[in-house]
Amino acid sequence: MISADTLAFILMSGILLGGLYALMATGLAIVWTTLGVFNFAHGTLLALGAYVAWQVTQSVSGGLGFLLAVIISMGVMFLVGFLLHYVLIKPFERHENVVLLAVITTLAGASIIENTILLSWGPRDRQISPPISGKIEFFGAAFNTYDFVILGISLLALLALAFFLRHTTRGRSMRAAAQNREAAELMGLNVSLLFALTIGLAAATAALAGIFIGSLRFISPAFGADPLMKSLIVVILGGVARFSSPIYAAFIVGIAESFSAYFLGLYWAPAVLFAMMIAVLLIKPEGLFGHRSKTL
Amino acid sequence: MSAPLLQISNLAGGYPPVSVFHGIDFSIGDHESVGFFGPNGHGKSTLLKTIAGLIDPWDGDIVFDGVQLNAKGRMRARTSRNLNYDLFRRRRMVAQTAVRSGLIYVMQGNLLFPEMTVGEVLEIAPVAAAGRQGVGEMREQIDALFPRLRERWTSKIRYLSGGERQMVSIAVGLLALPRLLMLDEPTLGLSPKLRIELSVAIRKIRQTKVPLIIVDQNIEFLTSLVDRLLLFDHGSITREIAADAMPSHDEVMAMMFGEAS
Ligand SMILES: Nc1ncnc2c1ncn2[C@@H]1O[C@H](COP(=O)(O)OP(=O)(O)O)[C@@H](O)[C@H]1O
Ligand SMILES: [Mg+2]
Repeated sequence: MISADTLAFILMSGILLGGLYALMATGLAIVWTTLGVFNFAHGTLLALGAYVAWQVTQSVSGGLGFLLAVIISMGVMFLVGFLLHYVLIKPFERHENVVLLAVITTLAGASIIENTILLSWGPRDRQISPPISGKIEFFGAAFNTYDFVILGISLLALLALAFFLRHTTRGRSMRAAAQNREAAELMGLNVSLLFALTIGLAAATAALAGIFIGSLRFISPAFGADPLMKSLIVVILGGVARFSSPIYAAFIVGIAESFSAYFLGLYWAPAVLFAMMIAVLLIKPEGLFGHRSKTL
Repeated sequence: MSAPLLQISNLAGGYPPVSVFHGIDFSIGDHESVGFFGPNGHGKSTLLKTIAGLIDPWDGDIVFDGVQLNAKGRMRARTSRNLNYDLFRRRRMVAQTAVRSGLIYVMQGNLLFPEMTVGEVLEIAPVAAAGRQGVGEMREQIDALFPRLRERWTSKIRYLSGGERQMVSIAVGLLALPRLLMLDEPTLGLSPKLRIELSVAIRKIRQTKVPLIIVDQNIEFLTSLVDRLLLFDHGSITREIAADAMPSHDEVMAMMFGEAS
């Protein structure tokens, strides 16, 4: 029989993982709700963000270097995301099949970004050194303090994003453009700019997630593929009826992954997640949380 | 005589490849108010959407306040069946320029932003006013016109009744500080009581000298508000009636459909 301590340990690992997934998936979700396209370059944005941060930590070391890396990387990736809208999506938005076209253009974008990383930094694995060491005792198991810091900062970042969308004029304008494009245009809003800002913010959160992953594991030019897949699973599982829907789903996915990795083995975890996703698609295709299709 | 506020000449448009209206000529002077009356599905909303810059005009000119809002000349006919054709065609008009110069369109049956609250929507609405003076006074006017909106301030738009939603739409239009306000069937689908409430409000707006274009199915309602009535039929303006000769509903029906009944 499995002990309560072990269960608590698995649960906690799942929650820690869920925080990261929430950060990754929210970027994908806000682009989907606002522009109505899936951004298949989302994973490579994580990777590029991580590489930019790694580069900064090479010149400035220590905690200061890490902080600087986070700020610079998020800023750079915001700009990259902003530009991506004008390069990958806006030129095609009047096409009747824009959703399908955007799949292709964002995949192309992903490939270009990935190869840019390969050319600039080479194929070798890198690691961003974590700014914090130390352990926390939790139900008799030792966790890295840093894992909890990541969870805290991820949730804070999402809270800040939610606050921005709800309580600032710019954020509200972004939601307006997401909910009714024509009405937003008739209000005099610059919808293209608001769309670009949305992708920019998504890219900045992706960068933060990429940095966290890069400081836990290794980064390689292709490391965005797995986060992209996890984000897709999370978004489909939770739906996008609310800002919080993918966040809840992220914790479910994290915990499910952690349990299946323990009981079934690491290589079965993706199969379990996909099975969950397919089950949700069959039973409640709009996602677990909420009835509406999509809003921001 | 000075140039009219809005001058429409030989305007044509539609949803490619379907032409909806053509050869539209009319103008609106300062402080003037004009009504459109015509059967459903004959292109009144499409005409107003085109004037507002939501869809591209095919031909003709839209001149507002002396400024040409659309690209001059005729839109080239689609010459290829390539699916990508639309990608390379430039917009011939942009809603933002029309809106920022004060040409405001309140859409028919506007759903606005279902997941935002009344307060949130009315808070961001003045972007179109583009920094012009008077938003504060307009807010006070709106509170007086639609006291109900204050009561519903924190409700999401999707929980509002049709009438309340229409009030928010009009309030959004007013907060843009319109120099010309186009109301597309503002009383559509409302209960008689709400219809009266809303017409009182529109009459008050009319008294503030904001020029209006109103489309409505109710002739009595229209004639009480406008200086001129334009009859719209099969995508063109078939007749213009001045204020002093306003007909009754039956007379208009006879004009449009012959002496049938
Ligand atoms: N978005 C659209 N796409 C294609 N055709 C449309 C669209 N909206 C309206 N139509 C068509 O254009 C014609 C005119 O419609 P509309 O302008 O709404 O008429 P009205 O406002 O006078 O009732 C109708 O035949 C309608 O079916
Ligand atoms: Mg109509």
